[in-house]
Amino acid sequence: MASLFGSRDRIDDLLTAPAPFVKRPEQNKGLLHPQRFMNMFGLIVFIAAMVLPFISATPYIISILTSALIYVMLAMGLNVVVGYAGLLDLGYVAFFAVGAYTSGILSTRLGWSVFETIPVVLLACVAAGIIIGGPTLRLRTDYLAIVTLGFGEIVRLTANNLAITGGPSGIHGIRTFSFFGWSFADGATLFGIDFNSKVLFYYFVLIVAGGLAVIGAARLGKGKLGRAWKSVRDDEDAAEAMGINTYRVKLSAYIIGAIWGGLAGVLMGSHLTAVSPTSFEFLYSALVLMAVVLGGMGSTPGVIIGALFISLAPELLRDFADWRYLIFGVLMVITMIFRPKGVWPANAMLPWLHRRSPMRSAAERDESDEAVVVTVPEPPEERRP
Amino acid sequence: MSEKTEESEKTEGRQVALPGSTDAPTAVPLPPKGDLLLSVKDMHVQFGGVKAVDGLSFDVHEGEIISVIGPNGAGKTSAFNCITGFYRPSKGSVLFAGRNLTRMRPSNITKLGMARTFQNVRLFKDMSVLENVKTAMHSRLKENVLDTLLHTPRYHRAERQCTLDAQGWLDFVGFGGDEEHLVTQLPYGEQRRVEIARALATKPRLLLLDEPGAGLNHSEKQALIALIRKIRELGVGIVLIEHDMGLVMEVSERIVVLNYGKEIADGTPHQIKNDPKVIEAYLGAEDDD
Repeated sequence: MASLFGSRDRIDDLLTAPAPFVKRPEQNKGLLHPQRFMNMFGLIVFIAAMVLPFISATPYIISILTSALIYVMLAMGLNVVVGYAGLLDLGYVAFFAVGAYTSGILSTRLGWSVFETIPVVLLACVAAGIIIGGPTLRLRTDYLAIVTLGFGEIVRLTANNLAITGGPSGIHGIRTFSFFGWSFADGATLFGIDFNSKVLFYYFVLIVAGGLAVIGAARLGKGKLGRAWKSVRDDEDAAEAMGINTYRVKLSAYIIGAIWGGLAGVLMGSHLTAVSPTSFEFLYSALVLMAVVLGGMGSTPGVIIGALFISLAPELLRDFADWRYLIFGVLMVITMIFRPKGVWPANAMLPWLHRRSPMRSAAERDESDEAVVVTVPEPPEERRP
Repeated sequence: MSEKTEESEKTEGRQVALPGSTDAPTAVPLPPKGDLLLSVKDMHVQFGGVKAVDGLSFDVHEGEIISVIGPNGAGKTSAFNCITGFYRPSKGSVLFAGRNLTRMRPSNITKLGMARTFQNVRLFKDMSVLENVKTAMHSRLKENVLDTLLHTPRYHRAERQCTLDAQGWLDFVGFGGDEEHLVTQLPYGEQRRVEIARALATKPRLLLLDEPGAGLNHSEKQALIALIRKIRELGVGIVLIEHDMGLVMEVSERIVVLNYGKEIADGTPHQIKNDPKVIEAYLGAEDDD
């Protein structure tokens, strides 16, 4: 563990980076700036999702959209682990379970409101991330996948057998969100619209939470830690040679993934008011992993699409009754054949967002290389008579 | 670059040590000029029964260019991996700026100021050129998780500076492609350059280049020689593993020769060229030009 806290020891810098002197093509201005465009696009989707219940809102639609948003949160968390850091995790649902059970137990035994349980859930998730990640992250690839699969099952079986988690029947009667004596169950009338069911409240809570989960994970992916994660994924030794403590970076991916999963668990527990071990079977780990791989590993829009697909497709295919899982499977196989890097690959950019200015031409470059070569002194042996 | 650091002035004054002016046969090795930077003492690396490195000792001073040569399988890359912390020596010590490196993580060694490149280009293949170089600034970037999540002014400041520095290093090594392309889209020669830029971005005092000339054509090799000299002018010490004798003889100030894990010679290019042991082990068999 000593290596977890790397030495602060450092010699003063010798170098300062030279200032760039080659003129670079300019980024697109205005709305065609890639990042700005995607942000605006996200905002529009967010607003559309907020407005949707006011247009058409049967409790059934709202309910499946709510669980779809829980999948989005889960998939964004797993995307950090699998997509960014490249650690194949087949037991991700364990963190979902830790969040749901911690919040559920505190809520039913101690009567805490959902908000009050969140700090404890965060601590539990960080602890779970360290406990599961600490010993397993020394493994690589397939071996790591098998061990995480084992951990996922351990968490489920533990929940199935402990008294405090309610055994196979789980926990019931988890309290809903409440503030200042008012809870979601009471309903309210806002702006002339009657919010009579808490289903609708949960939908809005999840829109906001899902939005924050998406923004948070995407920002992490673009920052310093995200680059470190991706470098570990692409080449662990080279990352280490760049001064990145790969063990610590991998563990941080696990912890962030655990937090995202745990918070999704809290929201699922209070949404359904009950948690039971059957919600944490391997199937769900596989489904969330599928959302990430199908959508595009490491790609924010891709993972959202993937999560919506795996949660909504079974519902949309209800008409096919017994055939729906077969069709679901066939659709996925077809997607992977035609889009092997996912529906929206990580480095994909919408065509109209590409910069237009050309790069330096090859001829120009060779010319400047030649100029450098001229300054090279003649090799000594040629000057000797 | 425009302002001359103390080190670069020191190296300016040491131009005498360049191979071009060491033509006169000298029996004694050149006296060390800068401060002692890296000191490898009696290093042994063993894999089972195979002695990959068997008692290697050499010193590198600040701003010096040293080559480690030897036939294939002589233990050059093993020695490199050992110095940079990827392998643990079974015996002996590696001192860098007075610190013992033998039990350190590679990342901590890099933070101390030693950077390396790899024999086969090992860039982060699913990242853009710019991101590759930015990654190397990881340990120096003042940006924590909360800054990244909340996009604080500190985050924007750190990222902007990091991008500028990365672009500066790319320009320094003469990278001429589109820095937003994935590295896998680049021709091989450009990938080599990006790898050197990435290593420089860790702000090293000592740069270890593992066969930087492998797979490059003649003009690319000439550009590489110019680049190595340019890096040295910054005051960075360079240790080079290379098979191309022309490149080695032209650029190095001192050469260490390995054969079967054993050090067989250590001297100026001129001395090495005339050393019968070296000719027997290496040049005699390989020299066909």
